[in-house]
Amino acid sequence: MKIFLNLLTISLLSGSCFGSTLIDQKAPDFSLFDSYGKEISLNSFEGKKVVIEWTNHGCPFVAKHYKTGNMQSTQEFTIENDAIWLSVISSAPGTQGFVSSDEANELTASREASPSHVLFDPTGRVGKMYNAKTTPHMYIVNKNGVLKYEGAIDDAGGRGFMFKDLLNATNYIKKGLIELSTGNKVSTPVTKPYGCSVKYAS
Amino acid sequence: MVGVKFELEEGWHTYWKNPGDAGEGASIEWNLPEGLIASKILWPGPHKIPVEPLMTFGYNNEVVLLTKISLAQDVVFPLDIKAKVGWFTCKDICIPQEGEINLKINQGNKIPTTNSYEIDSYFKSVPTTFNQNYRVEKLDEKFFLQTEIGDGKHYENVYFFPEEYGLTNYVDEQKYEKNLNSFILEVNASDANLNLQTFTGVIEATNNEEPSYFEISYPLTTEESNAEQSIFLLIIFAFIGGLILNIMPCVFPILSIKILRFMEHSENSTIKTYKFGLYYSLGAIMSFLIIAFILIFLKASGESIGWGFQLQYPLVISILFYLFIALGFMFMSNLVFGSQLGQLSSIARVKNESLESFLTGILAVVVASPCTAPFMGSAIGFALLQPGINSIFIFLSLGIGFALPYFILSVKPSLLAFLPKPGAWMETFKQFMAFPMWGSALWLLWVLSGQVDTDTVILVLIGGLLISLSLWLLEKNTTEVRFIQWIVRLISLILLLFSLWIIPTSYSEKETETELVYSEAMLKEYRDSKELIFLNFTADWCITCKVNERVALKTNAVNEIIRKKNIKYIEADWTRKDSIIAKKLEEFGRTGVPLYLLYPSEGEPIILPEILTEDTLINYLSEIK
Repeated sequence: MKIFLNLLTISLLSGSCFGSTLIDQKAPDFSLFDSYGKEISLNSFEGKKVVIEWTNHGCPFVAKHYKTGNMQSTQEFTIENDAIWLSVISSAPGTQGFVSSDEANELTASREASPSHVLFDPTGRVGKMYNAKTTPHMYIVNKNGVLKYEGAIDDAGGRGFMFKDLLNATNYIKKGLIELSTGNKVSTPVTKPYGCSVKYAS
Repeated sequence: MVGVKFELEEGWHTYWKNPGDAGEGASIEWNLPEGLIASKILWPGPHKIPVEPLMTFGYNNEVVLLTKISLAQDVVFPLDIKAKVGWFTCKDICIPQEGEINLKINQGNKIPTTNSYEIDSYFKSVPTTFNQNYRVEKLDEKFFLQTEIGDGKHYENVYFFPEEYGLTNYVDEQKYEKNLNSFILEVNASDANLNLQTFTGVIEATNNEEPSYFEISYPLTTEESNAEQSIFLLIIFAFIGGLILNIMPCVFPILSIKILRFMEHSENSTIKTYKFGLYYSLGAIMSFLIIAFILIFLKASGESIGWGFQLQYPLVISILFYLFIALGFMFMSNLVFGSQLGQLSSIARVKNESLESFLTGILAVVVASPCTAPFMGSAIGFALLQPGINSIFIFLSLGIGFALPYFILSVKPSLLAFLPKPGAWMETFKQFMAFPMWGSALWLLWVLSGQVDTDTVILVLIGGLLISLSLWLLEKNTTEVRFIQWIVRLISLILLLFSLWIIPTSYSEKETETELVYSEAMLKEYRDSKELIFLNFTADWCITCKVNERVALKTNAVNEIIRKKNIKYIEADWTRKDSIIAKKLEEFGRTGVPLYLLYPSEGEPIILPEILTEDTLINYLSEIK
């Protein structure tokens, strides 16, 4: 009987490793310092949905999302829905987007942004763990710590982005949060992230 | 033709239509006078621009993006052509840029200028439709693009730029392998499982350091979506298949004889038989589940197996052969099947009828296994492609279907009322049932003969003889003298063990036994005896060879025809350099693998194409004489 059970576990495990994205799997835990010097870990938010944003204020894509208020409105929507917003900066020291704590707080204030925390990942360890490629690159983790969405913030990506009206685009984060509040599935769990490359240490 | 030229400073780049992991291609919004139509941007072939740890696609230093502007109706000159252009210039950081275009075109003849020359030269690098034969196969999260090179023009290197996100992994190296008349490109699939319908993009083929660009698009078979739709249908088919198995020659005799015993029992009480049915069903269903687990386990550990794999092992076939011989003998003789079998098998020296029913259920599945292979091979093979949990359901349904008729009869033996009263006819019927058993044994022997040489087949036949002798001794062992009784039992045990000992086990598990290793002498021998020969020159490091083997050479349909036509399949493995094989390759003007030769019984061999498909291969194989 024990062998039987072992076989069962093996077969169930093998069943789950067919897809290779992180989607529908436990979001990798991490622990980073925020702009107030506090150590923040993903696991500590279990029970709440978490939106993770990879950001770099110098990137024109990110800049447009903040200039138009699109990112702020997405953040407000997230907080109103009792979810957590983490902005992660994976820019290596000396590269675009790398900021000090004070600069980060100053940016948050001047842009009237409302992230729950701004986290520093100067080694790029967490960014690479999540395969974050662009700024912005967005993720949604559900209440049980399972990754449910990965990709762009909206469908405005593609050529001609700088000419597009972001407020008319389909916002995948708002949509995903709404879908997760009624069910456990996001209708488009993976989209193409667009933006500047994350400025990892090379 | 209008060209928009981007001149970037040293080290800066702008993007292709698919920018890769980050960035964005340029956009041009035309503002044209009435009657003019602008085409989409004609993108010159892109370059790889790695941005560690990412990969982007675009243009370094300079590019001219082209647009064809055509006249839909008569227009009034001069033409005012305007456009708004947006693009990104990137180095380690990106700068968005915007520009306006204002062009005035007067009526007149075309005069070549440096501008028109530049446009022409960029137009040459705009990808054109690839007009060679090609195909794309997805195996194990990798795409293989195989192409025939007709005009003998060969490329030093080939690189694939995907058009859409979610198709291939941009960062991973692509492996390019060049053959005499073909090439193969191995590209890792993207982690984002978007199940795209086509493999579309641009290939950059470099010849004498001059790149040419071609558009390719090949439909992909999306396995998963098809499979999910038909899972319920598959479960139903498996159930029906299980029902039908009951009347297959392998299983029917055993069941019919068990059922006859119900009739005897049913005259006493009904409760008992219902219990037997339950235990029998339990045994049968559990066996099917165990088979399912074993298959899934093997599959998870990387073994490429299909149903019927059990018939690829001479060991398994031989044991099944003995089993069928023995069962036939028991039907024929007075050895009562069941309780006596319990005595034979060391597992169960029991008189307990519940346990016996359980074991019968297992036995029924074991004897059914050779019959399922030709009969349900493809269905079960398909079931194995499913994720683990689905194939378990399919096997479960198969087991339930298999056990159901017996179970129903055990609950209501009165259903058998149409049969004559128990009596002497039952013994006759039982004896007759030995023949389908032996028939199945014969079929197994035929399968075995395709895998091992004649001597070994004879050896297994001798084993069958010994088993029969051993059973006969047991049957006649009715003497009262204890000592002699034990001696006889010992002798039958020795006979049994000896017959097991001579089973061919030395054959390696994975190789199909029809496969022969190349030697010049062997080839000559087969040629002299006018055999049909398929000679496969292969090597482990040859991607083309391995892909051909997976999609064409080692498929069931091809194996079948090789076996049927008794084609000698010889493998010349060039994984390690081998001067004999190299010489043979040279004879056919080759310096490398793959090379496929098909020898007719007389005359020169046919050289098969380097890219094999199942269909073309079957055509060649069925026409060869």
